[in-house]
Amino acid sequence: MIRFVAFASLAIALLVPPAFGQTTDPASPAPGNPGGMLPGTKQSASSVPAPRQTNPPDQAFIHSATVGGLAEVELGKLAAQKATGRAVKEFAQQMSRDHSAANDRLSTIVKAVGIAPPERLDEEHKAMQVRLQQSDGAQFDHSYIQGQIIEHQKTAQLLEYEIGSGENAELKDFASDLLPTVLGHLRMAQAIAAEMAQQAQAEVPPTNREKRK
Amino acid sequence: MSKRLRVALPLAGAGLLAVAALADPLPPDATYRPLPTLPLDAVKALDEAQKPQVMQRQQALFERRYDLSNRPIANFMMSGGRKPVQGGVRVKLPAGVTWDSLSAMGPNEIRERGLLPAGFMPLPHVKQATGGQVFPNQEIDEVGRQELRNLRRFDVDFDLSDRFTPEFPPPIFLTTHPELGDVSHGQLLTIKNYYQLMVGLLTPVQMEGMRLLLTPFPQEEFNQTEDRKSADQSLGVTCLDCHANFHTNAAFHLTPDIRPQAARFRLDTVSLRGMFNQQIHGSKRSLRSVEDFTQFEQRTAYFNGDHVSAQRKGVNLPDRFDQVPMMAQMQNIIDFPPAPKLDPMGRLDPSKATQQELAGEQVFLGKGQCGQCHAPQTSFLDNNMHDLKLERFYNMGQTVNGQVALPDGAIKTLTLRGIKDSPPYLHDGRLLTLADTVEFFNLVLSLKLTQEEKDSLVAYMLTL
Ligand code: HEC
Ligand code: HEC
Repeated sequence: MIRFVAFASLAIALLVPPAFGQTTDPASPAPGNPGGMLPGTKQSASSVPAPRQTNPPDQAFIHSATVGGLAEVELGKLAAQKATGRAVKEFAQQMSRDHSAANDRLSTIVKAVGIAPPERLDEEHKAMQVRLQQSDGAQFDHSYIQGQIIEHQKTAQLLEYEIGSGENAELKDFASDLLPTVLGHLRMAQAIAAEMAQQAQAEVPPTNREKRK
Repeated sequence: MSKRLRVALPLAGAGLLAVAALADPLPPDATYRPLPTLPLDAVKALDEAQKPQVMQRQQALFERRYDLSNRPIANFMMSGGRKPVQGGVRVKLPAGVTWDSLSAMGPNEIRERGLLPAGFMPLPHVKQATGGQVFPNQEIDEVGRQELRNLRRFDVDFDLSDRFTPEFPPPIFLTTHPELGDVSHGQLLTIKNYYQLMVGLLTPVQMEGMRLLLTPFPQEEFNQTEDRKSADQSLGVTCLDCHANFHTNAAFHLTPDIRPQAARFRLDTVSLRGMFNQQIHGSKRSLRSVEDFTQFEQRTAYFNGDHVSAQRKGVNLPDRFDQVPMMAQMQNIIDFPPAPKLDPMGRLDPSKATQQELAGEQVFLGKGQCGQCHAPQTSFLDNNMHDLKLERFYNMGQTVNGQVALPDGAIKTLTLRGIKDSPPYLHDGRLLTLADTVEFFNLVLSLKLTQEEKDSLVAYMLTL
């Protein structure tokens, strides 16, 4: 469990937005390829896209990141109540906490660019929620964690996509800050899943184990 | 619920989730190259305006990571005798630690305290969002002079100081003519001069292979469409624009094997010397023959592994039964530079080596474990890929100049024959000197080498 506590403090540290650095700060958003810029994009003096604009990757990102973030918080709350395993419960609490903070930051940026973000879960996440509501016990824990592994894998790719293809500096900065946290979450979820698989194996009486072979 | 049921049920849940996860995928440009949205002159103007900032960022990164000063090893030259080898550890340490105090810590402590020297981290492309091939100025100038072909990009310049690149033009050694030594006449092989330099030395088949390796073909940044980074409609690039004289000039690009763009790692051109002895090719692709690599290089190095983009820009696909074998045969007669102190088993000849070099060999084969992967008897290779797991030492996912630092995974063991001739080091060129590589492996393999042992290892590697 010590392992997870270390991750938690890291996660919170990384959610605090950094001061907007000078242009040579390697962590600040790097210039994009103007080959993919939309005609009519406004530019600031330095030939970089003026702030508060979005390109199609930014827009795709806003949509998926908002929905994914909402789902993390809602499913996290659900799992914080329903999970039976302690590691799963703690993980779920951390998900709703970390992703609430991230969602707040994202929605501030999104408001500033004047895009109406999705406000509800999409079909995919709703279906996941319903499935989780209908299951309990070990099955719930298992389904939640397996779902979290996939969700965090998808989110990591989404954040990397925005970092490389997005145009809005604040969104790219947000994606850069969040990525290490998301990869940390992924490793936690994978560790919990591995532990649960081991326990499940240990719980099967030896006779059954033989029969299953 | 019976215990047995409790185990069986979760598996059903996993099945449902796997199907559901197919919804809401990333847009196609996360995998495929998007078409340009602006006319070329607009893109060029924007790129040119951004260029100073792009170069400054990368320069600042290099200065933060490395000591770039001119500190050549005394009385020591690369194989052609024209360029000194830079010495000393160039990766800068974070405040408050020494190389010894760092190597006394475990990976967890180094990761949690953020103490991995930044120079050990993956090295981003000078402009990660665009990527593509970038040539050093010496290559650009010489190809311009000989062929009037333009290898300069309007959006970026080469980012690494000439001090840390290979000798240019590098010498050429042929397995078919060991008695001659360097056959380059001090010139860069191009389509304009290869015939007169090589007639009488090569067979007709090798000559034809050479011609193909020196013929320009369209490439992602150098082509005739609006999606390019050369000012003029370009004839393209040749194989030896990067593998200069069959060695390397440290030209770089991004790995074709990974998406999305921010996750792609940089690739430093490898030397083609001694390729006849290698059984796997490419740091990640593990292609099994020089023929395969030659065939695919025009879709991978040239077009980022995007055959759709390649088709549009006029890819040249060399004929597998006729042209590819000739190109391969030419590459397969390129030898390593001579190593007069090595015996036929790849071991130091004690009558020729110094005490320090011999001590270095001891460390290499013993405490340093280097020889287990870099086996002297097989050209310091093991024809295997290894995962050095550097990510034990840092938090994954940090963004550095637009690149996301991710685990490298398994990478092919690179040969150490002729290693003094081919800085920078590692697949992405993140290390500038051999002393840097010793500190890198000292940490990654938890070797706890003494300063004396480290110095002897460097002295030893200079003999290879
Ligand atoms: C950007 C400059 C560049 C150009 C142009 C280029 N290469 Fe390469 N080449 C590389 C790099 C970088 C690697 C290492 C790839 C890796 O690690 O995956 C490489 C690797 C190779 C290898 C494998 C070497 C090994 O050690 O296994 C062969 C063979 C090769 N190239 C042949 C060619 C041929 C043939 C062409 C022309 C069709 C060509 N290259 C054009 C940069 C280039
Ligand atoms: C587990 C196998 C393994 C061991 C042990 C090992 N290496 Fe390597 N070495 C590799 C691999 C794999 C690479 C390529 C890594 C990369 O490019 O990211 C490499 C690359 C290198 C390079 C850079 C080569 C180039 O062309 O850029 C040098 C130099 C080197 N090793 C020296 C050493 C020394 C010195 C030791 C012992 C202290 C050592 N290695 C031990 C596997 C190993």
